[in-house]
Amino acid sequence: MLARVANNLFWMGRYIERAEHVARYLNVNYFSSLDAPNELSQSRQFVLRSMMFFVGEPIVDESVILKEEDILYNIGLNPALPYSVINNVKFARENANSARDLISTELYESINKFYHFVINYSVEDFTKKGLYDFTVNITEMTAILRGKIRGTLLHDEVYAIIMLGINLERATQVIRIINAKYNDAVRAKGSYGDKIGHSFEWITLLKCVESYDMMRRYYKKTPTSISTLEFLILNPDCPRSVINSINQVHKHIRVLDESKSPNKNSTAFLISKVKGEYEFKYAEEIEEDIQGFIEKILDNLVQISLKMENEFFNY
Amino acid sequence: MNSDVKTIFSSYHNNAQLFDEVFDSNGVAKNVYQKLLDLYGNHSIQEYVQLNNKAKASFFNQGITFQVYDNKVTQEKIFPFDLFPRIIDEDEWEIIEKGAIQRSKALNLFLWDIYHDKKIIKDGIVPLDLISSSANYLHQMIGVDPPGGIYNHISGTDIIKHSDGHYYVLEDNIRCPSGVSYVICNRTALKRALFGVFNHYKTHSVTNYAENLLEILESVKPKGVDVPNCVVLTPGMYNSAFYEHSYLAKAMGVELVEGRDLFVENDFVYMKTIRGPIKVDVIYRRVDDLYMDPLEFKPESALGVPGLFAAYRKGNVCLANAPGTGVADDKAIYTYMPQIIKYYLDETPILNNVHTYHCSRPDELKYVLEHIHELVIKPVDEAGGYGISIGNRLTKDEIKVVQEEIKQNPRKYIAQPIMSLSVHPTYIDESESFEQRHVDLRTFTLLGHEKEFVLKGGLSRVALKRGNLIVNSSQGGGSKDTWVLKK
Repeated sequence: MLARVANNLFWMGRYIERAEHVARYLNVNYFSSLDAPNELSQSRQFVLRSMMFFVGEPIVDESVILKEEDILYNIGLNPALPYSVINNVKFARENANSARDLISTELYESINKFYHFVINYSVEDFTKKGLYDFTVNITEMTAILRGKIRGTLLHDEVYAIIMLGINLERATQVIRIINAKYNDAVRAKGSYGDKIGHSFEWITLLKCVESYDMMRRYYKKTPTSISTLEFLILNPDCPRSVINSINQVHKHIRVLDESKSPNKNSTAFLISKVKGEYEFKYAEEIEEDIQGFIEKILDNLVQISLKMENEFFNY
Repeated sequence: MNSDVKTIFSSYHNNAQLFDEVFDSNGVAKNVYQKLLDLYGNHSIQEYVQLNNKAKASFFNQGITFQVYDNKVTQEKIFPFDLFPRIIDEDEWEIIEKGAIQRSKALNLFLWDIYHDKKIIKDGIVPLDLISSSANYLHQMIGVDPPGGIYNHISGTDIIKHSDGHYYVLEDNIRCPSGVSYVICNRTALKRALFGVFNHYKTHSVTNYAENLLEILESVKPKGVDVPNCVVLTPGMYNSAFYEHSYLAKAMGVELVEGRDLFVENDFVYMKTIRGPIKVDVIYRRVDDLYMDPLEFKPESALGVPGLFAAYRKGNVCLANAPGTGVADDKAIYTYMPQIIKYYLDETPILNNVHTYHCSRPDELKYVLEHIHELVIKPVDEAGGYGISIGNRLTKDEIKVVQEEIKQNPRKYIAQPIMSLSVHPTYIDESESFEQRHVDLRTFTLLGHEKEFVLKGGLSRVALKRGNLIVNSSQGGGSKDTWVLKK
C-alpha cells in the first residue's frame, strides 16, 4: 500500500471517529442538562462552556454570556472552524476520496451519503430544533460506517490502518471527554452539597461515551468517580474504554509489523510498552492525580501517532 | 404500439429531416426497438420521472460527480444520464469493431514509423511539415522503442451515424481518452432503475473492460520482468476524471498513484509504500505528456516524476499510452487516415472518414473561405469541442471573424462539411417528455502485444441542448447506455 494512501486511510478513520464523539458530546450534555438535579448543571451557560472546553476552546471569563445558537452552530456546522462536525466529516470524505480505489464501493457510498447529509443540513433547523436529529444521525451514520469498514473490507493492511486511526482517536476522545466532564464536576462541586466523587456529571460522562447502561449492569450501583474512571479507562471489556482501544491498536499494529520482537524504535514496541503500563494501573492511582494522568496518556497517544507517521506514512 | 406507449412518447416530435435511430420517417419504430418501446410504454410519465430521479440519486450517492464553481460555492453535479438506451445490432457492431481495430493498428504503425525511419514521409504520403509543425510531436521520442512495440494501448474513437445511415469517424483520441467508467456506470444505473428490460435483449456485458485493460498492460511489460507491477498514475483527486482513475485502479486491483508517490533511482521507477520502495513496471498514466517528467518536459510540473522519461527510454518501465502519441490524433493527421491505413496495412478503411479541407493547402483554403456557411471549422490541436465554429450558425460578422482567424494561421484549421449526427429519443427534464437529440459514440479499443480488444458497448454522448451538434460533456452533453446485441 502507498504510504500517502495509508496516511489518508488512517485519518479517514480518525475523522469519522472524531465526528461521532463531538456530535455525541453535544447531544448528551445538552439533553441531560435539561433536567439535571441542580441549578448549575441545568444552566445553559454551564453546558455551553462545557462544550467549548471539550472542543479545545475553553472560555475562562465567567462574565462572558454565551449565545446558544452561536455555540451550536460553531461546533456543529461552522465550516470555518476546524473542530466542527461538518469539517470532520468533510476531512473524512476527502481522505476517503484519495483512497477510493482501495476501499469498497459500499463504504465509499456510505461516506458520501454521510457527507451530503451533513453538508445539506439547514443551519437554522439545526440551531433551533434539529440538535437531536442531527447528532443522533451522526452517531448512527458513523456506526454504519464502522459496520461497512468491518463488513466490506478485506481484513488486511488497509483495514488495520483504518482501525489504528479509529482506535487511537477513540482513546484520545474518551480521555478528552473524561477531562471535560472532570472539569465540569469540579465546577459543579458543592453546588448541591454533593462531593465531587458522587457528582451527577459522572452519569453524563458515561452517557457521552455510550457506556452508561453497561456500567450499571457491571457495577449495579450509581456511578462514582472511582467506578467511572475504572470502567472507562481500565475495563478491557468496555468497548469504549481506553485500555480496550489500546488493545485494539496493539492488535492491528501487528498486521503491519509482524516481527516477533519489534525493534525498540518501532511503533509496535512503543504500543506494547504503553499497553503494559495501563494493564497494571488501578483507578485510585489515577484519581490521585487525574490531571497528570490525562496529560500523560494524551502524550502517549500523540507519540504513537507520530511514530506511525515516521515509520509508515513517509512519502 | 399499445395505448400506453402513446403516453410516454405521445408528444415525441419526429422531424423527418433528421436521421432518427429509433423511428423511421413515418414515425414507425424500427424492429430492434419495438420491444423496448413497449416496455417503456408501460410507465406513466410520473413513474418515469421517479425512475429518472432514482438513477440520478444513484450517481450522486456513488460520488460519480464533477464540481462546478458558482459564486464561490462548490457544487457537485452528476453527468446527465438518459435512461432510454441506444441499441446497436450485431451486424453494425461488427463493422465498428473491425474498423476501430484497423484504425488503432494503423495508427500504431504510423507512430512507430514517424519516430523511427519516417518512411511514410519519404514516400510522400504524408507531408513532412504536418509532423514537424505539430506541437504534439515529441523529438524526445525519436528512436525510442516502446516495450511490446505499442504506442496507443488505449484509443477512444468518436464515431457518428450520418443521415445517409453510415458510420463516420470524427476523431481518434489516443492521448488519454476518458469516459469508459461512464459506460460502466450508465449500465449499472440502468440496471438499478429498469432491470426488467434486460430480460428481453441479449446484451453484451461491459464490465470486462478492466480485466482486458490489465491484460493489455501486462502484455507490454519491460524485458526481463516476470510478473509486472502495474499502476494507474493520476494527477490527483481534483482532476475532473479522478473518479475514472480510481475506478480503473480498483477494478484492476492495482495501486492508484500520484507523481509524488513515485521516484526514480538508477533509471528504475519505485513507489513509496508502507513497507518501503516497490518497483513499478507498467504505468497507465492519465497525466499529459508535458506534465509527466519535469526534468524532460515542463520543469514547473508538480504532477510528474523526475527521471521518469529517462527510465522509459532505457526500457525499464512502460508508459501507456506512450509519450508523443498526440501527433497522430491531431485533426490534420486524421484527414490522411485512409492513406495511412492503405500504406501500412494495405487495406481499405472499414470506417468512413469525413471529407476534410486543409486550410494549409492554398486551393482548399480558398474553398473554405468561400463556403464557411456550409462547413464546420475546427482548430487542429484542441480537444473537448473547444474552438469549433459551425458555419450555418454564424452571423455575417462572425463569418468575417472566422475568415480572418483562418487567414492568420491556416495550418491551425481544417474544415469539414456539416455532418448531420443521427438523433435518438432522449428524456428532457424541462418538457417532461422525449425529444430528438443528436448522439455520437465513443468506442474504446485496446492494443497490446499480440492482443487486441474492443469494448462491446461505448459511450453514446447526447447533446442535450436542442439542435446542438457538440456532444462533449464539457459543453453540456449527457450520455446513454449503449447496448451491443449478441448474435
